[in-house]
Amino acid sequence: MERRGFIKKGLSWLAYISGAAALAYPIFSFIRFRKIRKKTVVFHPDEQLAAANFKEGIYLIKRGSDFNALSARCTHLGCTLNYDAVSRQFKCPCHGSLFAISGKWISGPARKDLISIPVKTEANGDLEVEFEI
Amino acid sequence: MPRLGLSALILCLVSGIVLVFYYRPMGDVFQNVEEITTLVPYGWFFRQVHYGAGQLFVILMLLHTLDHFLRKRYRIYLFKEWVLMIFSLCLCFFVLFTGFVLKGDKEGFFAGQIFMNILEAIPFIGGNVSKLFIMPGDSFFFLPYLYHCFFIPILIIYLIRDHIREWFPNQRFLLIGTVGVFLYALLVKPSIDIPPEASVAVVQGPWFFLGLQTLLKLFPVLLAGLIIPGLFLGCLLVLPVIRTASPVTALKGGIAVVGENGLHYVLVIALCFYGFLTLRAAIWGP
Repeated sequence: MERRGFIKKGLSWLAYISGAAALAYPIFSFIRFRKIRKKTVVFHPDEQLAAANFKEGIYLIKRGSDFNALSARCTHLGCTLNYDAVSRQFKCPCHGSLFAISGKWISGPARKDLISIPVKTEANGDLEVEFEI
Repeated sequence: MPRLGLSALILCLVSGIVLVFYYRPMGDVFQNVEEITTLVPYGWFFRQVHYGAGQLFVILMLLHTLDHFLRKRYRIYLFKEWVLMIFSLCLCFFVLFTGFVLKGDKEGFFAGQIFMNILEAIPFIGGNVSKLFIMPGDSFFFLPYLYHCFFIPILIIYLIRDHIREWFPNQRFLLIGTVGVFLYALLVKPSIDIPPEASVAVVQGPWFFLGLQTLLKLFPVLLAGLIIPGLFLGCLLVLPVIRTASPVTALKGGIAVVGENGLHYVLVIALCFYGFLTLRAAIWGP
């Protein structure tokens, strides 16, 4: 009798949990869904002149005739980095992390290097940087 | 003190309801906020009242909880009531924080980014948890807006409904208090908004998170942003149960009391240390 009661109780709990999960799963799937969007930042020739050119969350770094792009987001907690032309370093205004112009982490709590993004050259001299947001 | 809090809450709700007619969490939020402050008739007035009264409400609630904590009044309350009080206070701070984010300026945007990244640092479930509160992209301010204007205010009023019922009958005090808070709110100017595209050497978080900003500078995200605050809250919550939950009656007068007192003083020291970090960050920067 006791065992039967235990099984009955267990089954009813199982039914409750399954019911809650069946309801929670679609709700949670709906809430957490996010369409992946891509953003393109275009650097026109007059925006490619400095050693580090900032536009819409991207730093375009000039090395002689070559260019590479770095995400301006600090790898620590996502603040936008400032570029210091004197020391040729990126500095985070929130928690003070420092990065070299190559994107390499120097000091501070970030620990990881900056994210590098491929640069596409257009026929008219524009440089395009495409990344996910 | 809590009755004055009710006056602040009323002013905050009224000014918030007015602001909601112009505020839009999509598009250029910073421009929208600046329009409220400079273009919309009496916009600066409602924003300032909302800011001043909101800050005062949370400060009064903090002092109210601190008063109960320091006088060890959690002993006379049911555990459920104590949990409810701490939870309501956390919600108050969350509303204040989302208000800071919704300014849409550089500070607000960075605060939102930091909040999102801290949530993402929760092991295994972080990515999913953060999506419940804030999402990157065009609708960055939308979820904080929903929480700030809709979910949390309703939840706070529901949770403190008994308190409100208790404070409400004294209408004369309420009226005088509301006028007083209103005059105070007119004197407290919000800090200058920093345009999102401006380059600023140091960006500071809201005053109550300055200590946390310093901790995040010194320790890994998981430790400074989640474990330390979580541990503090957890200790605060279990404080009243140490004595009552003791399995042996004889212990209730002995080890359990020592344990409770010990934890109480540890929390007092932790609070003092956080206060010191906040002051240090306010004076010398985080």
